[in-house]
Amino acid sequence: MTRWSALRVATGGVLAAWAGLFWFLLATDRTALFLSSRTEWLVPSGAVLLTLAAIGRLASARTVPGGDGADALTRRDAWTLGAIALPVVILVAMPPVTLGTYAVGKRASFVGSSVGSSVRVVSGSLDFVDVAAAQSFDDAARVLAKRAGEPIALDGIVSATEGLPPDEFLLTRFIVTCCTADATIAQVRVVGAPPGAFEPDQWVEVRGRIYPVGREVLVAAERVEAIPAPPDPYLTP
Amino acid sequence: MTTVETAQRSERTSRAPTGDRRAWVPVVLALLVTFAAARIGDPAQVAWLRNFLIVFGSLLVEAVPFVVLGAFVSAGIEVLVPASAFARIGRLPRSMQAPAAALAGVTFPVCECGSVPVARRLVAKGLAPSAAVTFMLAAPIVNPVVVASTFVAYRGRDTLWVMVGGRFLLGLVVAIVVGWVIGARRPEDLLRRAPALEAHEVDAAEPRWRRFAGHLSGDVVFMARFLIIGAAIAAAIQTFVPQTIVDGLASLPVLSLVAMMGLAFLMSLCSESDAFVAASFVSFGPGPQLAFLVFGPMVDTKLTALYIGTYSRGFFRTVLVTVAATTLVATLWIEVLFG
Repeated sequence: MTRWSALRVATGGVLAAWAGLFWFLLATDRTALFLSSRTEWLVPSGAVLLTLAAIGRLASARTVPGGDGADALTRRDAWTLGAIALPVVILVAMPPVTLGTYAVGKRASFVGSSVGSSVRVVSGSLDFVDVAAAQSFDDAARVLAKRAGEPIALDGIVSATEGLPPDEFLLTRFIVTCCTADATIAQVRVVGAPPGAFEPDQWVEVRGRIYPVGREVLVAAERVEAIPAPPDPYLTP
Repeated sequence: MTTVETAQRSERTSRAPTGDRRAWVPVVLALLVTFAAARIGDPAQVAWLRNFLIVFGSLLVEAVPFVVLGAFVSAGIEVLVPASAFARIGRLPRSMQAPAAALAGVTFPVCECGSVPVARRLVAKGLAPSAAVTFMLAAPIVNPVVVASTFVAYRGRDTLWVMVGGRFLLGLVVAIVVGWVIGARRPEDLLRRAPALEAHEVDAAEPRWRRFAGHLSGDVVFMARFLIIGAAIAAAIQTFVPQTIVDGLASLPVLSLVAMMGLAFLMSLCSESDAFVAASFVSFGPGPQLAFLVFGPMVDTKLTALYIGTYSRGFFRTVLVTVAATTLVATLWIEVLFG
């Protein structure tokens, strides 16, 4: 004669909730809001592992009544399990948002020699990672300087307008290696934008020509357009 | 059954808590209210709260799969590996156990969150605590994935091999020193008694697969609560403390090392990604950057919560002091030689 163990069922339920979060991230393409392309494999892995753990717990949830209360679900147990499920509830309820202007002031500038090498600056099309490397390394800066005046297209968020002339703003992109906790920033100064047309945190695409000036990189805008947040909001080095 | 397991079972039998058939009702209601409030209130509109939630979520989304993987390994050790296997390791000379355990970390390519449940299970299973702790501290630094990520982060720099080799060797040395300091402590002196929620989960008389499922879910639930607390603290710190706070200390010999260790503690980065952040502090020399890369994977905010939940009160103090002192002295030498 067996009966359902309330504690085991509740534990299995919490594991299933966590598995559900990882399946939810997969199904709604939200992985990129938290992880880089380098670590996105963790989400399907987590989904499978947690699903197996939940199935294992629920499949073994019927027990022989022992009379020692070992499988009883106390209030304390229930609240503890609820606390463990709380992040799932919050992350599922949260709209798909990305790091914004607030985070810019808290982050260090990106320096990634692996992608900021002069080789990439010479041969590839320019992007934010090359710009960040040139702001940190002399050899990358020299090579980028040789490409002054070349066309460039950058997507990013408007991160600062205060203290700048009306036709200028800072364009920022976060660079994430594993998860957004390790995000660093790459930044250019856009000049010649339509005055007052863009707000902080707004995603824009800037097309123009690049001009490194010392460590600062300017982009003389030829066209600035508001765009929706891209599905992959963070760059991966 | 080991001494620790016997003690835990004895404790939970004597406690014999009484269940409440409706204990889950208010909890489920509270979660539903939270969900509704989050949907209607849209906390992401508040800039700092949005930043907190994204960082908190990303720390969990990244760390939880490693914790579950560690729990699978841990449950496998418990159910499939006989205690006699660890007794054989225990017969090695004590001075050899810690170095051997540190080198074993090379074979375990997970970050620090995954190594904690494994080390806990190894101790409960009878492995010398000093060896298990050495393995736990070394594995997140010396495994090949972390070595490769450090190489990639510093490729093209003059200090490439100082950073890659220095991190690997310092990781081994610091972990071994902690192992020696732990010395001959007994498992029951090191491990905290399992709390009721986990202790209830496993019945030794059950079939092997049911015991595996019990240990697995018990470990996940046990680790998850501390991971959530640690991730919340780390996310709050990342939300309110700018990374550039330490910039002014870059030129000060000892303070720069302490500052980078403190920053590593506060940021709680995964050992597989922290090299990219360390590399961004270009105003700091190789010594402070190595301090960041060695100290962080051994002691940080989320690990503190895991250690306090898993081990005895004195354990965290021992690890903190030993890791900090050893890292400080070693990186000071590196700064003198290569800075």
